[in-house]
Amino acid sequence: MSWKKRLSVLSAAALLTVFTLSGCGSSNDAASGTASTGTTASSGKGLTGDFEVQYFVGGYGDAWWKKVVEEFQTANPDLKIKVSAGPKINDQMKPRWIGGNPPDFVYIDGAGLNARQMIEDGQLEDLTEWYKTAKTVDGDLISESLTQAPEDYSGKTYNIPLALSSWGIFWDKKLFADNNWKAPTDFDSFVAVSKEIKAKGITPFIHTGIYPYYINNSILYPAMVSANNDDFSILQKIAANDPEAFKSPAVMTALNQIVTMRDDGIIDPAAVQLNHTDSQMLFLQHKDAFIANGLWMPNEMSKDVPEGFDFGFMPSITQKPGGKSIAVTSTATVGVAAKAKNKEAAYAFIQFIFAKKQASQWAELSGAPSNIKGDISASNAPAFVKQAAEYLNSKDTIVVPTITFNADVEKAMNDATVALTIGTIDPNGWIERVSAAAQKAAN
Amino acid sequence: MTSRHWQRNVFILTFILPTLILYCLFMVYPIIQALYYSLFDWSGSSENKDFIGLKNFVDLMHDPIMWQAIGNDYFLVAGKMIGIMLLATFFAVSLTRFRLKFALFFRSIFFIPNIISVVVIGVLWAFIYNPQIGFLNSILSLITGTEVKTAWLGFPFHTIWMLLPPSIWAGIGFYMILLIAAIQGIPESYYEASSLEGAGQWHQFTHITLPLIWEQIKVSVLNIMMTTLNGSFVIVMIMTNGGPDNSTQVMGSYLYQMAFQQFHFGYGAAIGVVILIMSLITTVALQRIMRQETVEMN
Repeated sequence: MSWKKRLSVLSAAALLTVFTLSGCGSSNDAASGTASTGTTASSGKGLTGDFEVQYFVGGYGDAWWKKVVEEFQTANPDLKIKVSAGPKINDQMKPRWIGGNPPDFVYIDGAGLNARQMIEDGQLEDLTEWYKTAKTVDGDLISESLTQAPEDYSGKTYNIPLALSSWGIFWDKKLFADNNWKAPTDFDSFVAVSKEIKAKGITPFIHTGIYPYYINNSILYPAMVSANNDDFSILQKIAANDPEAFKSPAVMTALNQIVTMRDDGIIDPAAVQLNHTDSQMLFLQHKDAFIANGLWMPNEMSKDVPEGFDFGFMPSITQKPGGKSIAVTSTATVGVAAKAKNKEAAYAFIQFIFAKKQASQWAELSGAPSNIKGDISASNAPAFVKQAAEYLNSKDTIVVPTITFNADVEKAMNDATVALTIGTIDPNGWIERVSAAAQKAAN
Repeated sequence: MTSRHWQRNVFILTFILPTLILYCLFMVYPIIQALYYSLFDWSGSSENKDFIGLKNFVDLMHDPIMWQAIGNDYFLVAGKMIGIMLLATFFAVSLTRFRLKFALFFRSIFFIPNIISVVVIGVLWAFIYNPQIGFLNSILSLITGTEVKTAWLGFPFHTIWMLLPPSIWAGIGFYMILLIAAIQGIPESYYEASSLEGAGQWHQFTHITLPLIWEQIKVSVLNIMMTTLNGSFVIVMIMTNGGPDNSTQVMGSYLYQMAFQQFHFGYGAAIGVVILIMSLITTVALQRIMRQETVEMN
């Protein structure tokens, strides 16, 4: 081979290396972005500088976010807003959070972000003092504009709930009417109607066994609150990793309700191996009469809902006769990064998005209730969203505020509940296992 | 002479360097990083990491889920090795030595699972196993005449057995093609000569085919072991998410669970290091077990 030829081979190999490496480098650009130091004006209007918003795009979509960011931009024409959004944004932005270069504002939703973990990691700004007096752009106190108050972290506030949904039990009103079954109002009536359903050859109840937090949030936690005289502090104690919480008789009562459901053949044996989509499909096909799920489910399955299917919903079925319903809420929150470069813009943005008109706008564009108080009855929001909003504002419902468990304790509860539903452990085994996990997390 | 020598070195480096750089960047560097992170108590999202030495490894030793995961991993390794190698060898021999009519057609059919994504295979088999609307229960109901509603992926114990059929089904094609190529490389005259001496198909298989494709079998077994230890987490995540109650957890899925869902990145990195060490030990052990004098064709 001549020297010239060798040189061409060398050049080609070098080029190949450069291209490959430059390709790798450029793939990170989308996630890393730029967030230069921002300077802002002191007033709420006319903010300047750079301002970066991070939001996850999931079940609620991004139509509302696009709209509200556009409105905020119009209100602050000199502010340079950068949006970092998408279904994978939590993972994409992780290197920036770790590297101390986070966005200014973050919407905490979807896999990969856990508010409690972010607080433990010192990533979220302490909003306690600001929140006490912060007002929306309408001039109302934010604290008075919310249906659900922010989660309390040892007396401190770090994140504010924006989206509000509830866990509970669904059934098809039409199926029940056709069979003269009565919708349950408490645990006794639930067990009674389940037996009637079973006699008709339909399995009474299905849940999402692969993700046991569905049954925990819809059955177990409401049952604990009901058995604790409607006092949800028991869940807060669990969230605080207090092993004593599991010694409460309310925990045993709640676990025994699941045992009753298991032993009476109410729980579909298929549930243990099903994910949310599969279990929801079986429910829509009337293979199962009840399903443990969240209020987003009708919207999630809208393309598969058979004609005439009429969703009935109740936040809980584990209360005693005459007892109040317990709604374990599911919220997605917003916060300010502790290392935000434009905190003023982030605060102003929060004041902007909690304005009263956003209640209807969120419900319409996201297909779910928001945490902002406001009458959405005249809006174009789906009917079930309006119903749900009514439920959450009802005086006959105990609405459990956002409670984030330690990830290890939550996993232990999920695993133990699934083991309980298939009979590999008893309630004492559940308590023993989860107490140990809480003890470990507390140390 | 020196100039020629230098030119030769440059020429060799031209070919080695790009691959070496990429290998270091995407293999060596991540391994070193994993080793480094395994020594820290780190959530994976915090700026701060606490150096804890080997504590993650000590905790791993006392973690019952980790032992369950290791057991499941080696169960899958053993099950896949036996299942895939037996079936792949059987099909390879059948399609080459038995002169079947539709050999090409069957070869394509058996290879199809290899061009399907593992995710699709997982979803497909989850449907087959679905207790209410699944194919398996429907067939069994038809045969037995009674309604079968077995939750195939929800047994209190031994659910990991149910992950073997999809894993074996997905793996046969590739190894079958590998063995077919090896068998086709064996001169026909060997078989003709042995036939004249009165050797039957089984005798030919054990005395001609098997010794001459042993290198390919060895490579296949090692490859099955390595891909299982490193990759079985995909099928676990899709079909069972490690459940019920961690009974189908493998090291890879447990790594993902701890590092990305329970925010123990350091612990997850330690699991990764254990996977690496176990893969190395198993590779060496298997190579020793399968060591056999090389039979060469003249």
